Amino acid sequence: MPTIRKIALNVFAWTIVLAVAFPLFWMLVTSVKPSFELFRRPPTMLPETWTFEHYWHLIERTNFLTYFRNSVILSTATTLVVVAIATLGAYSLVRFKYNGRESLAFLVLFTYLLPSVVLIIPLYLLLVNLGLANTIFSLVIAYTTFALPYALWLLRSFMAGIPEDLESAALVDGASRLGAFWDVILPQLLPGIISTALFTFILSWNEYLYALVLVNSDSARPLTTGVMNMLVSAFNIEWSLLMAASVMMSVPLIIVFAFLQSYLTRGFGAGGVKG
Amino acid sequence: MAAVVFSNVRKEFGSFTAVHGLDLSIAEGEFVSLLGPSGCGKTTTLRMLAGLEFPTSGEIEIGNRVVNDVAPGKRDIAMVFQSYALYPHMSVAQNIAYPLRKRGTPLAERQKSVAATAELLQLTELLNRKPRQLSGGQQQRVALGRALVRDPKVFLLDEPLSNLDAKLRGYMRVELVELHRRLGRTMVYVTHDQLEAMTMSDRIAVMEGGELQQFAPPTEVYEEPANRFVASFIGTPGMTLIDGDLSRDGDHWLFQADGISMAVATLKDNASPGPACLGVRPEHVLIGEGPVNGVIQVVEKTGHENIVVLELSSGQRLTGRVPAPQSWRPGETVQLSFDADHTHVFGPGPRGIRLNRDGVSAGKASAPPLDIANANTPTPRKAQS
Repeated sequence: MPTIRKIALNVFAWTIVLAVAFPLFWMLVTSVKPSFELFRRPPTMLPETWTFEHYWHLIERTNFLTYFRNSVILSTATTLVVVAIATLGAYSLVRFKYNGRESLAFLVLFTYLLPSVVLIIPLYLLLVNLGLANTIFSLVIAYTTFALPYALWLLRSFMAGIPEDLESAALVDGASRLGAFWDVILPQLLPGIISTALFTFILSWNEYLYALVLVNSDSARPLTTGVMNMLVSAFNIEWSLLMAASVMMSVPLIIVFAFLQSYLTRGFGAGGVKG
Repeated sequence: MAAVVFSNVRKEFGSFTAVHGLDLSIAEGEFVSLLGPSGCGKTTTLRMLAGLEFPTSGEIEIGNRVVNDVAPGKRDIAMVFQSYALYPHMSVAQNIAYPLRKRGTPLAERQKSVAATAELLQLTELLNRKPRQLSGGQQQRVALGRALVRDPKVFLLDEPLSNLDAKLRGYMRVELVELHRRLGRTMVYVTHDQLEAMTMSDRIAVMEGGELQQFAPPTEVYEEPANRFVASFIGTPGMTLIDGDLSRDGDHWLFQADGISMAVATLKDNASPGPACLGVRPEHVLIGEGPVNGVIQVVEKTGHENIVVLELSSGQRLTGRVPAPQSWRPGETVQLSFDADHTHVFGPGPRGIRLNRDGVSAGKASAPPLDIANANTPTPRKAQS
């Protein structure tokens, strides 16, 4: 029966949507409930009293804004570095012919396959020896090491989808190689660059483990470890503040997602469709 | 003065040799086609001329200047790609203006040139469109416009018509020939379509396996193919090739194959007895009377003529071409002979060279021009015609 099928499908889809959306809803609701209402039984679906005191508390009396600024700087810098290197690297891997090209591409991916726990201690020692420990910059380097391989492969498949004739035509038309790259390749690669940038930004924004190990001064902490450190202790979890912080952490990502969502899905499909 | 000269140009990709020591001299203002099956090295040759590939050895000259180390953009050439390679993010006007922009042409002059080119190719209405909003034929004209706009010394065209439908292709052939006549520029045209090469070129360079097989005007390529490959590649339907033996009795040459024996004459001095191959074009298979019997297998009607595929008793297949009003049917046995003035003899092997003397077809000077005996064919049935 088509109608039954339709209803079943709808129920199924909405169940998934609810399962994903409810925690977000609960986070939002908890963040605007006064603390005394949190543990009431039965729980209130919507707060009886609305309050934004947790948000004000975070902004005015904690380091939240410092962490937020650190995260923005960190994620933006990582994204810029990764996209710049990955774009040029992908161009090289696709357009130039040299020995070991394929092995190189594979080796790059290989680092991505290792669990980060294995890499974190050597990386930590390396950064300490470089005198970069406890800086935002050390995290930029660390995030680049694991975001770059994936970004490189993603951009590589996008790059492979750009016809070589376009570049040849630009060369014959009088462009230099760099000119052809700038005039013809980059505009074609834009969707790929946007999805790679999004991917890298989200990865850096949400990263926890490296930030925990590599940075332990408040001035350099990003949001993830900063909030955790501030609000979650062995004895107590500040649920209201934690939820308010979570909401504020999610807002930038939700905004970026809403605007660039179509590019992102296109990016994830690139390997299969264009490869 | 030669506009384009290849001197012993060789191109290797790793262990694969795409072009073997190519020597080719194209005159200024000439329309030359590089013709051959896919993988014959014609596109590699063109790309080397464009500067997109570098020859492993040898020299390439454009207008008396060796261009081996000259960047593509500085060779004063323009190229039309098979895929058109229009810049998708630029409008038609920006696409056509791009070569001028890269050469620093002032804006006012650029706009004037683009307008003139658009006018010439009837693109004026489309100047603000993006390439994806155009039909295949329109995209093709934009690609042509981008090549025309800066009046280069040499035009390179890489199968520019192969993505168009048959009707438009025929139309564009005429347009291109007209354009060539009007501009008087050297054009090098790569194609695997012999019809394009035959109809448009001043000379055709037939290539196969990275080697030049023949470089001659279309009629010569058709009437005096240099070797067996050229003979079989040029012409639709193809030339029938019959493997057999050549023997010599004094001044007389005799070609013999299963069921066929034919006196041939006027071979080159270097011809020697042994395995050889007889080539007959479809229009030189005379169906209706003659000493050989063949069974009609297929009759293809094209409207103005019929293509008839016949099988001899030896299993050898022949293709003939006859004017349209004929009533032969598959299964019928007919008698046939060859037009002795227009048969060819080739040496052994897939690229056996043509043994007929230049300008002469086999059998032309022979007293008994055709003497075909069919030793082991069944008694001929009377052909109904």
